[in-house]
Amino acid sequence: MSRVIEEAKKRAKLARKAKKNQVPYGLALLGVLAFIFVVLADRSSINALLWVLGILLGVVLQKCRFCFAAAFRDPVLVGSTSVMRGVIICLIITTIGFGLVQYMLMFPQGFEEIPPENIPGRVRPVGFHTIIGGVLFGIGMVVAGGCASGTLMRIGEGYLMQLVVLVGFIIGTLWGAWDYPLWDNLFIQYSPVIYLPYYFGFKGTVVGQVIFLLLIYYLAYLYDKKNSIMAKL
Amino acid sequence: MDWYKKIVKEPWPYWVGGILIAMVNVVLFYFTGKPWAITTGFLYWGAGLLQIAGIDVTGWEYFQRSEYLEVAEKGFVSTHYTLLNTGIILGALLAVLMASQFKFKKLKNRKQFVVALIGGIIMGYSTRIAFGCNIGGFLSAIGSLSLHGWILGFSMLIGAWIGSKILFKYLI
Amino acid sequence: MRQVRIDCMYEACPIPLLKALKELEKMQVGDLLIIESDHSCSTINIVEWAKKQGHHVDYQEVGEGEWEIYIEKAR
Repeated sequence: MSRVIEEAKKRAKLARKAKKNQVPYGLALLGVLAFIFVVLADRSSINALLWVLGILLGVVLQKCRFCFAAAFRDPVLVGSTSVMRGVIICLIITTIGFGLVQYMLMFPQGFEEIPPENIPGRVRPVGFHTIIGGVLFGIGMVVAGGCASGTLMRIGEGYLMQLVVLVGFIIGTLWGAWDYPLWDNLFIQYSPVIYLPYYFGFKGTVVGQVIFLLLIYYLAYLYDKKNSIMAKL
Repeated sequence: MDWYKKIVKEPWPYWVGGILIAMVNVVLFYFTGKPWAITTGFLYWGAGLLQIAGIDVTGWEYFQRSEYLEVAEKGFVSTHYTLLNTGIILGALLAVLMASQFKFKKLKNRKQFVVALIGGIIMGYSTRIAFGCNIGGFLSAIGSLSLHGWILGFSMLIGAWIGSKILFKYLI
Repeated sequence: MRQVRIDCMYEACPIPLLKALKELEKMQVGDLLIIESDHSCSTINIVEWAKKQGHHVDYQEVGEGEWEIYIEKAR
């Protein structure tokens, strides 16, 4: 370790004001969260579950600094795919898990017997509106310093800026809902729902998607290495 | 106590997050029939506020669709999304407090405010036409084996590239 | 050996990283760059990037939710 850095660190440590312990506040918050859990559980176990899962997601997102905006942005900005690879791992586990859940929820008829709009999960029409929406979202998230999950996470971290982003989100979703008929007439009504098992079968899609994701993971790893001077030494 | 410090204070690796988030999403999907999604919750908060303000949005064509009609009729009170989204905020807060890393970060300047607001509006608008955000439209969609999730992902990559150019040019 | 300090407090992602990038470019080998940041991502993304570029890097917490990241330009 560089001596220059060691000295700088020592100087900073000496100049530091006393550390404040925030754990008591954390424990107090935990108490409140637990109390709310009990109140919810009394009336509805689903609501209690939603509460716990939300809190879990918040904890994990924050502790991992898991940011989808960084996943999409860093490869282009600094040639790093570490966050993106974390997202890919998430996608792989989600694919397997959702595959199981979908199978169970559609049992025993199977997906062929169910109209596309009733397939459990997020299955929606794909078309130009998807591309336009995605590009806009990509621009927005990089510029606003976070995606939807990142915004919630950062509000919890104390960022006033992300509260402003949230207000923007609310305005934007309302405006989008208001404008929806426009997009529906232009693109959405002509756009198909492409549920991949229609083309590759259920098992084929799940297995194929996992393999495809593993491939992308490997490519992302290579791309990251290529941009790392250290790897070449 | 060193390992305790590691778990509480140090950041966790991304792959751990990837696995845990996926597992939570699967549990959520199984028990509620709905995978994780965020921005629909923002829409409901907004519509609910408008209702309280006396502006009736239940007549909007958007809310006539089956998945929204039910919530619209209840005045847009959605416990599902409100509990999830509020939980996420408080979960993140809990994590930083336990690590003694909470800091209230005020707005730096007016430019930050404008950029944040516009960025949020653009994101919000796009979620209605793309059928979701990075979670509902991308993560949960790909998990649900729908092609729109993949197309959305690639489009977001392009958007992030454009956004980075804008960032570098105008915002540094 | 020069020491440069950049204040990235209250900045949003990815501003601390971009500022560090820009500043480091202007510096000489052996110079020390100190980045002050209150952004939780920056301890990971700046540190990772600096390591990949072959520089010496370390960081430490200097306050609640505040960090200092030290980069010694090595090449």
